[in-house]
Amino acid sequence: MGLFKNKKEGQPLQAEKGTVDSSFLVLVLIVLTCGLVMMFSASYAYAYYYFDNSFHFITRQLFFAVLGVFVMMVVSFVDYHVLHRFVVPVMAVTVVLLVVVLFMPEINYVHRWINLGFTTFQPSEFAKFSVVLSFAHLISVNYSRMKTFKYGILPFALILGVFAVLLMLEPHLSATVLICLIGAVMMFVGGSNLKWFALVAAVGVAGLALAAMNEDIIAYATSRFAYWLDPFSDPQGKGYQTLQSLYAIASGGLLGLGIGQSRQKYLYLPEPQNDFVFAVVCEELGFVGAVFIILLFALLIWRGFAIAAKARDRFGSMLAVGLTTQLGLQVILNIAVVTNTIPNTGISMPFFSYGGTALVMLLAQMGVVLSVSRQSSLPKE
Amino acid sequence: MAKDTGKGMRLRMILVMLFMTLVCMGVLIYRLSVLQITGGQEYQQRAVAQQMRSVSINANRGTIYDRNGKELATSATVWNVILVPAYIEDEEVEPIAAGLAEILGKEKDEIAARCANKERYYELVGNKVEEETAQKVLALAEQLGTKGITLEEDTKRYYPYGDLAAQVLGFTGSENKGAYGIEAYYEETLAGTPGRKVSAQNAMGTDLDFQYKELYEAKEGNSLVLTIDETIQHYLEKHLETAVIEHNVKNGAAGIIMDANTCEVLAMATAPDFDPNKPLELGDPNKQAQLELLEEDSEEYNEFLRQAQYDQWRNKVISDPYEPGSVFKIVTAATALENGVASLNDTFECTGSTTVSGNRFGCWKAAGHGVQTFTQAIENSCNPAFIAIGARIGGADFYEAFERYGLAEPTGIDLPGEADNAGLVQSYTNLTKEGGVELASTSFGQTFKVSALQLCTAVCASVNGGTLYQPYIVKQVLDPEGNVISTTQPEAKRQVISEETSETIRYLTEMVVKEGSGRNATIPGYRIGGKTGTSEKIDLLIQTGRDENILSFVGIAPADDPQIVCLIMLDEPTLENAFGSTIAAPVVGAVLSEVLPYLGIDPEYSDEELANMDITVGNYVGMVPHDAQAALTQKTLKARIIGDGGTVIAQVPSSGEDIPRGGTVVLYTDQLSQEDTVVVPGVIGMSGAEANRTIVNAGLNIKVKGVDTELPGAVAVRQSPAEGESVPPGTIITVDFLDLTTDG
Repeated sequence: MGLFKNKKEGQPLQAEKGTVDSSFLVLVLIVLTCGLVMMFSASYAYAYYYFDNSFHFITRQLFFAVLGVFVMMVVSFVDYHVLHRFVVPVMAVTVVLLVVVLFMPEINYVHRWINLGFTTFQPSEFAKFSVVLSFAHLISVNYSRMKTFKYGILPFALILGVFAVLLMLEPHLSATVLICLIGAVMMFVGGSNLKWFALVAAVGVAGLALAAMNEDIIAYATSRFAYWLDPFSDPQGKGYQTLQSLYAIASGGLLGLGIGQSRQKYLYLPEPQNDFVFAVVCEELGFVGAVFIILLFALLIWRGFAIAAKARDRFGSMLAVGLTTQLGLQVILNIAVVTNTIPNTGISMPFFSYGGTALVMLLAQMGVVLSVSRQSSLPKE
Repeated sequence: MAKDTGKGMRLRMILVMLFMTLVCMGVLIYRLSVLQITGGQEYQQRAVAQQMRSVSINANRGTIYDRNGKELATSATVWNVILVPAYIEDEEVEPIAAGLAEILGKEKDEIAARCANKERYYELVGNKVEEETAQKVLALAEQLGTKGITLEEDTKRYYPYGDLAAQVLGFTGSENKGAYGIEAYYEETLAGTPGRKVSAQNAMGTDLDFQYKELYEAKEGNSLVLTIDETIQHYLEKHLETAVIEHNVKNGAAGIIMDANTCEVLAMATAPDFDPNKPLELGDPNKQAQLELLEEDSEEYNEFLRQAQYDQWRNKVISDPYEPGSVFKIVTAATALENGVASLNDTFECTGSTTVSGNRFGCWKAAGHGVQTFTQAIENSCNPAFIAIGARIGGADFYEAFERYGLAEPTGIDLPGEADNAGLVQSYTNLTKEGGVELASTSFGQTFKVSALQLCTAVCASVNGGTLYQPYIVKQVLDPEGNVISTTQPEAKRQVISEETSETIRYLTEMVVKEGSGRNATIPGYRIGGKTGTSEKIDLLIQTGRDENILSFVGIAPADDPQIVCLIMLDEPTLENAFGSTIAAPVVGAVLSEVLPYLGIDPEYSDEELANMDITVGNYVGMVPHDAQAALTQKTLKARIIGDGGTVIAQVPSSGEDIPRGGTVVLYTDQLSQEDTVVVPGVIGMSGAEANRTIVNAGLNIKVKGVDTELPGAVAVRQSPAEGESVPPGTIITVDFLDLTTDG
């Protein structure tokens, strides 16, 4: 991997000398492969029944996976410092998109998707990256003043506040929670004063409560909460998806029914290729397979944080922290939903759930982490 | 710069990383272990319950054969027409509804409505349709190219002989389960074991071919061979039905024919009957007419219909105990002779009535029979004489006889619904009571009730040498391949009287028919034994004040070597001064005159009977059919009753014409049937025997002219009417014979 060793230093927009963290890259590719295989298996019957083509989802997902890997590799060669310049435009675009999406037609009573014609796209995905980028930028710029309220709390709170309010208008509770959690983790790692933290947490809760004044949101959230505690209270309605997921997981047992052998994917589990793909993983691969997948993600998180720790500078470090945290939190929340450990919210499983733009976006973000890792061997700034 | 602050940041990173990987993921792994390893059983079972569909596969029900292998009840494959609304496109609704409405004969709107609920996958629109209809449905589905119509295999019960032995066979109800009769009693034998198809299905109810599937084949039911003989059953039913019409029998009639030496049931009938193919429809036109007077679906209507259905399904032979009246005197006589308390030459005086402990019992002949022997007493069916005989037996022995003859408990025949008459016979205490009133009435067959089956079984024992048999109706059980699984052997219960006593009873019953009250059951050429019975429905009289009778007759044939016993009872016939001797005896005679030749028991004519070969036909117009038949039988002629009326309105040949012995006189009982004609067959060139057979088989009579047909060269040369003409049945065909072997 000494390919780029002789390149000249200090040239922006061009890769710095150094190699990517190969174990992170390999892990990403392994997880991606597992995800594609399992998404194919999970979507097989559903695709056959509704699209007369079992390969309906996997062909599209494969295309985006290839595209995504390409994008990841390209991004990994880009010096991540260039992202400093994009902070303001990205923020602006995010806000615009989050506003625009509110005027999109409702799908399932919420405004979450923008239809681009060839694919649909969730601005909330973009908002997550936006938060990671802006927070990494702010922390790296204001690191010495992080203990103060003005620099260590206020800007972050403002950004999160604006995003949270816009997201709750869709409404999109899970994205709001996810973004707040990512932000909180980054602030914590970035060194925000913990006493302010409590205050912000209180403000955040108050903000949520304010958002929850909206009756629709209350009804929406509380119903999910009720069926979380007792999915059998409405087995054919609100509890259906959760129950079908639990049936699938329990059916898997210790060793699973074997790959491709899920029975729950035969139209029992609604849209098994989406948020609940992990239930099919549990059914087909059993406890052993599910733990294996979780361990792969744990290794990925470990490598992500290792990259962050070794990063050349604080910006790179915080980018890696933010992006890895986003990945980790999504995995954790998704599995928590699938196992009914937390109420059912719409959080997809990175690398496993179907969704082209989300996958490309995710791989691009992995490319950013790789880009950070590429400079870790260089002298710190 | 990074280095001095790096430590704090790195520590916080490690904290976050550990929190995510160890704490959060640890919790999730623990959660998974609970769901997948330790506590997921309930979810697992629920998953399997929703994924696995167990579909029942109907087992073909076994066939019911008569003793000669005729199919009395059989199952055939039929089809259920199912709509799958979930697969029906909106624009398909109209053509599907229109097409099915036409094929199935239903309302188009109704079918369209069934298509409406798109979440349904099963709407039954055609129940048990025949193969032909199913093919049409299939063609329609193909033509429309719809996935919304499917067929489901099912089985249906058919009774090819219609109402034959309806109450005996019973019928099947929902899910092809036996509801009455043999169908119910032998449900387990006939039903077989339904198969199951267990398969994994998707949430839409479609089989997953490549997934788990297990098939348990249906096991076809076993078949039954009855002791019933379809032909004998037919004769019995035909005459029972005619009797019900001619005597306007209000409460139905029951008849049974048994093999005297085994108590196999050869025929068992209840009239009026019903068609087990349509068990809910009323078979009795009178009841149907009454029903139609009521407002449809009103409470009375439904109640009347329910009661009428229940009544028509009842097997009167086993389910309705009645007072046997004088038929029971056979048992009284046998007991007295067996116990040695009376002999044939003992004399009894009848003054028209007798008084027992202050209760007056009248004889049917008010003038009295005077002094008579035991034999004459039974010929006369004299009540005072039998009261005296009963008194000689004594209450204790009489009760014991009841038990010995099996009259105090159900016979245990293999049919459902046999009445338990234990509470309907006089108790030991009653029979042995001081004064002997109950004993007196019991002696001539009143104040207790037995079923026709019990009585017939007892009569069999009295005449077959004294052995009481277990009556039965299923002869064999066959497996689906037709191999015999089991055969019912006649089972002797006990010896009730000695062979000598039995022989005496045979003699006595023959005397009853020869000289006494049973004369109307005479069949020339045969030795027939029998006993009449007329009983008052005393309980009905006490309860409602209606004075009704049950007339019955038991026939034993041949009297010297009994093969069959035939018991017929008519419940509430409407004729003034009706007696069993004038009404029930001719019916039994008519039945026996057809059954005996069928059984291969040939008539043996006395010299006197043989003397006149040609018989002059009498006038039978105006008579009730069975009286006319009895009169013809005694002339050694046959009767063929055509029509549904209760009176003979025309006859062919007409009165005064001569026909050969054994010829048939056709008796018409309604206008319509007189239009029936037969085509005269050609007999020219035939021998005497051939010509006779041909003409008789065509339902016509032959009159021979010319040379003696016994001559080997006798050939028919002329016939009138000519071949091909249409004439009423029974018409005399005059045939000229010439002996062509003798040269001119």
